[in-house]
Amino acid sequence: MQGSQSTRTVSRGRAVVIYVRTMAVFFVVWALIAMWTGNPILLPSPLVAFEALVELARSLELFEQAAVSLLRMLGSLAIAASIAIPLGLLMGLYRVLDDVIDPTIELLRPISGIAWIPLGLFMFGIGNALPMFIMTYAAFFPILLGTVAGVRAVDGKLIDAARTMGVPHRAVLTHVVLPATLPALLVAVRLGVASAWTAVVASELIGAPSGLGYAIEWYRGLLMTPQVMSFIAMIGVLGYLCDRAVRELAQRLTPWAPETVASR
Amino acid sequence: MSEAVRLRIEHAGKRFPAANGKETIAVEDVTLDVTQGEFLVLVGPSGCGKTTVLTMLAGLQLATSGQVLFDDRPITAPGPERGVMFQDYALFPWCTVWGNIEFGLRHGPAGAGMNTEARAQRVRHYIELVGLTGSEEKYPHQLSGGMRQRVALARLMANEPAVLLMDEPLAALDAQTRLILQDELLRIWGQDRPASERRTVVFITHAIDEAVFLADRIAVMTTHPGRIKALIDVPLPRPRDDRTRALPEFQALTQQIWNLIRDEAYRATVT
Amino acid sequence: MTRGVPRWVIGLMLPIALLLLWQAWGSAANNVRMPLPTKVAAAAVQMVADGELPRAILQSVTRVFAGFMVAALLAIPLGLAMGHSRAIERNVDPLVESFRPIAAIAILPLAILWFGTGTSAAIFIVAYAAFFPLVVNTIAGTKRINPSLLQAAATMGIPRFTTIRTVLVPAALPSIGVGLRIAMGVAWTAIVAAELAVGAKAGGGGSGGVGQMMFVFYAYSIELNRIIVCMIAVGLVAFTLDRLLRGALRLAMPWSVR
Repeated sequence: MQGSQSTRTVSRGRAVVIYVRTMAVFFVVWALIAMWTGNPILLPSPLVAFEALVELARSLELFEQAAVSLLRMLGSLAIAASIAIPLGLLMGLYRVLDDVIDPTIELLRPISGIAWIPLGLFMFGIGNALPMFIMTYAAFFPILLGTVAGVRAVDGKLIDAARTMGVPHRAVLTHVVLPATLPALLVAVRLGVASAWTAVVASELIGAPSGLGYAIEWYRGLLMTPQVMSFIAMIGVLGYLCDRAVRELAQRLTPWAPETVASR
Repeated sequence: MSEAVRLRIEHAGKRFPAANGKETIAVEDVTLDVTQGEFLVLVGPSGCGKTTVLTMLAGLQLATSGQVLFDDRPITAPGPERGVMFQDYALFPWCTVWGNIEFGLRHGPAGAGMNTEARAQRVRHYIELVGLTGSEEKYPHQLSGGMRQRVALARLMANEPAVLLMDEPLAALDAQTRLILQDELLRIWGQDRPASERRTVVFITHAIDEAVFLADRIAVMTTHPGRIKALIDVPLPRPRDDRTRALPEFQALTQQIWNLIRDEAYRATVT
Repeated sequence: MTRGVPRWVIGLMLPIALLLLWQAWGSAANNVRMPLPTKVAAAAVQMVADGELPRAILQSVTRVFAGFMVAALLAIPLGLAMGHSRAIERNVDPLVESFRPIAAIAILPLAILWFGTGTSAAIFIVAYAAFFPLVVNTIAGTKRINPSLLQAAATMGIPRFTTIRTVLVPAALPSIGVGLRIAMGVAWTAIVAAELAVGAKAGGGGSGGVGQMMFVFYAYSIELNRIIVCMIAVGLVAFTLDRLLRGALRLAMPWSVR
């Protein structure tokens, strides 16, 4: 049955056309439903929402809050990665370490970052520290586990090949294991970014005086739905851009890897 | 003794529009007849279009020029009367051996009008024929390569096709299993029966000795563009077995065919 | 095994050491509010005994299942269609990919605006959260199908709709299973987050569930031990749900190698 492979890739231009067309249909349907329900708080028309977006952008409020959230995420990511990556590498290389640490990790992992919010609120109060604590926690696990898996997945034959060429142990680690782990590591970082970004909203919604999550909640309290939607859209856009950024980084650092060549 | 022509390919060609705007010609001007009960083997270097010819006979692809006919009717779609055995066996992993073999009868036109008992009878018959009695409830991942090949063969034959189209079915097996299954294949096909009672087979392989061992006739194909270079009869007596491989005629034929292919095969390894 | 000591013993060493450390350091701190493993355990026993915890868990889990079902009924057929037909995928994908980066929790304020702070909002959030991993994995599973399988069905003359039912779906099932497991984890996290956030905004009244219970303990009584019991419960339920799902998937796919 040829059906599933019927039309292969389309040209770039055509893909853009289809994208625009689908989104246009979406906005039209939205506008129709908005007109039908007639409640501007429940569902404002796309135009009103767009106006609010433009206004928030013009007044820079949109970007200010975005910057706050983004910085928090970058900070958390840096902290999480600086612990998780070295730890993951060591755990992947030395089984003993993994045996000791992994069960604790597996016990903590099901307790999502979100569940730490009440305790975190108690420890840190409302402010910058809480979201960053939650985000660091959220990003930590995917990065750690992905790194461990990446190290383990290194084809043993690659290591054997290096050793039969007489390459010393230290060099095997830096020149074989590390590059071989890099693609999986970057995938793990991508997942960490996604986790952290999800946590950013939850933690700011509840426990921060600034940021995109806070802004959403603030405007909801004022029943200003168009603004709420604008910030939600911003969250989506930034989430996409961050993911894209990591993918680009992966492409630069590891152009040989199939994971980075694939589009998604 | 002349048997009816079951498959006829007349000046058939297949072109593809390639990504860069140019065209790829898979095969060009192929003319070939396959008679009832004949075992025809296609050999040739990689890329010579053997698989394309097979898929055209199967109806999975259509010729862009010329005609491809089954019993004098144009082939426009796949169907159970021209059963196919795929290189990777394409066994359904979620079905047992029994489930796989029964599949075409259960869900397709080949089993039309058959009730459960009739189906079971036929499935049992083919399981016995290929020698898999006792393995009915196993899943494909539990089977060895040789066993999977038998399941694929039984599944194919359970639909009782007039024509068997096989795309390098033994390629994935190790050399020893291969030899054994070549014998099995001939047995199951019914090599000691007259042509009118056997199924018509079109078989693709890379291995020349395999081709000579199995075939009544060999079509040697060439590449760039794909076309038939030579049609060679294999008059070795049937039934064939290990002793056939030792015959001087066997060696001569193998050498003859290799001479036809060698240069192209070499070129394929350096480009 | 390291030096003959079984792995599970080694595995327990660190958690036990940490617990002991916590107990010792906590007791020494001389603060009544300080949560301690012993106090947490006592609180846990009490919360289970008087039914408070099981009830909350049941409430949250029921919502998760409801939202999960909704998501599955939408995402799986859509994923199969998108994976099978490039045309459908190209047209629907912009919408899916635009909303996928927006986490369920970000939609929560909108959901509250639309549905209030009750169960409908919760189910909506869960369904939204579970939808994306399900659809993404279903598409991937459908695309990854060995084309020979579909061709084999065609050569047996099997009609298209029957092929979808008897070949496409079973072949995609392993990936759908992966999607279900990921979606379950996401759904559970989403419900806890939603209940927590709703609890924070609705001032403690309203929807119930584990998340909300946690917030109550924070906002009203600052009972840290109980908060920790809830956290552990969250973890345990997540683990149990995953195990149950894995078992169910194994039953549904008796042919899978693992």
